[in-house]
Amino acid sequence: MTATQVRFFTLVRREVTRFLKIKRQTLGAPVLETFLYISVFGAALGSRIDKLHGVDYVVFIVPGLIMMAWAMNAFSNNASSILQQKFQRSIDDQLSSPASPLELLLAFSLGGFLRGMIVATITFTAAAILVSIPVEHVLVLLPSLFLVGFFFAQLGVLVGVRAEQFDDVSFYQTFLLTPLIFLGGVFYSAELLPEPFRTLTYFDPVYYMIGLVRYGFLGYSDTSIGLSLLFLLAAALMLFTLNYRLFARGYRLRA
Amino acid sequence: MALALDIADLVKRYPTGTEALKAVSLEIGEGEFFGLLGPNGAGKSTLIHCTTGLAQPTSGEIRVFGHDAIHHYGEARLAVGLAPQDLNLDWFLSVAETLDYHGGYFGMPRRERRERAAELLDAFSLTEKRDDRTRTLSGGMKRRLILARALMHRPRLLILDEPTAGVDVELRLELWQYVQRINAEGTTILLTTHYLEEAERLCDRIAFISDGQIVAQGSSRELADSYGVDSLEDAYLALVGRNELSRAHIAGDLP
Repeated sequence: MTATQVRFFTLVRREVTRFLKIKRQTLGAPVLETFLYISVFGAALGSRIDKLHGVDYVVFIVPGLIMMAWAMNAFSNNASSILQQKFQRSIDDQLSSPASPLELLLAFSLGGFLRGMIVATITFTAAAILVSIPVEHVLVLLPSLFLVGFFFAQLGVLVGVRAEQFDDVSFYQTFLLTPLIFLGGVFYSAELLPEPFRTLTYFDPVYYMIGLVRYGFLGYSDTSIGLSLLFLLAAALMLFTLNYRLFARGYRLRA
Repeated sequence: MALALDIADLVKRYPTGTEALKAVSLEIGEGEFFGLLGPNGAGKSTLIHCTTGLAQPTSGEIRVFGHDAIHHYGEARLAVGLAPQDLNLDWFLSVAETLDYHGGYFGMPRRERRERAAELLDAFSLTEKRDDRTRTLSGGMKRRLILARALMHRPRLLILDEPTAGVDVELRLELWQYVQRINAEGTTILLTTHYLEEAERLCDRIAFISDGQIVAQGSSRELADSYGVDSLEDAYLALVGRNELSRAHIAGDLP
């Protein structure tokens, strides 16, 4: 391995080690949460709800839960990890190394991305044990999930870099991310909503992400697949570019 | 003499408008033990942060062993080791991991990291603590680890930012002995300290920095002479305008 490869691998390893060392909190808790969603919304309430777009309610919600698991974990991992390191100033060890802004950004991004992927995979496996989950369009599903993970990993980096206290991270998570994800149609189809809520849902970007993932699993979506993919790719790239500029400037990282 | 650190017209202006460094120029020769003294807020840490990439200079040049440390900083950062004033250890890592990850950030291959870490753990009496999390260490142990971490990638220029602040007498003497040894072996050292006897005992040359400017430099004797006083301590008191605190003044020998 070259020195650059060793450095990048070590930067990523540090991020992965962090969440594995506190796996009860970073992996166990999200998996339990998703299991509870499936149990309560799927098994308990779902038995009283008719099929949605030809599938059982519990099956209908699983794609959204998998996407939510990846998104939330990618976000919260990166936001918390960066803020913690800024708070302890241990981030100075990485910042004073020869690592470039791009290496640092990619390594921090990958930490949350990988944690999200692990939780999403466990969620899928657990759900597949409980109910039969179809995978209709794997070539749409995988890029969609990867892009969602990448987008929220970037959002987590952005919030972590901007944050000055732990309250800043929980603010974005509680008052922005959770409402957007819940109101984006994880637990229902937007078509069932009365106006003006249905129209309002169309302004929620997460609605299009859930549409993509649901299409990948179930072969059904309320949204245009091509446009949604394009929108998601553009949004992820814009966020990545913004973060890269912040890292290159050393915004709130270097004095 | 070849220069280990060559700083020319360095200016650092913070977004608040505070000018922490005002066209500072400083040369430290290869193999020197150089002290930087000044009151709090004089610009010592800012100068160190600009050299190690933790702060971005507004203008000016920094070269480490001839390598640009601002724009094309890769080689320059490889040559510098920083033991910061704050105990900025990563709470998630063990003692051994702290050294291993630092070596990784600087591109050291695994085998070399393992050997070097074992050598430093032994040198700083940390071998028994190698698997302990850093947050469980005593203040003295943390200080040793910070120094070991700075030395991990075998820097040719070691920057010690108040390395003995708050440590007990034995550890202070131990650290002095260690840094004198590595200086004798060829490592250039830049030391900032508030302990004048420390600077006097260790440093070949000393610079006074005040209000973002280097106001005097030379050996301890030369500095005393340039202020027309008997000791480095009196020269320092003259620098900060507190002659009335001088021992001679208190003893009544001076008006």
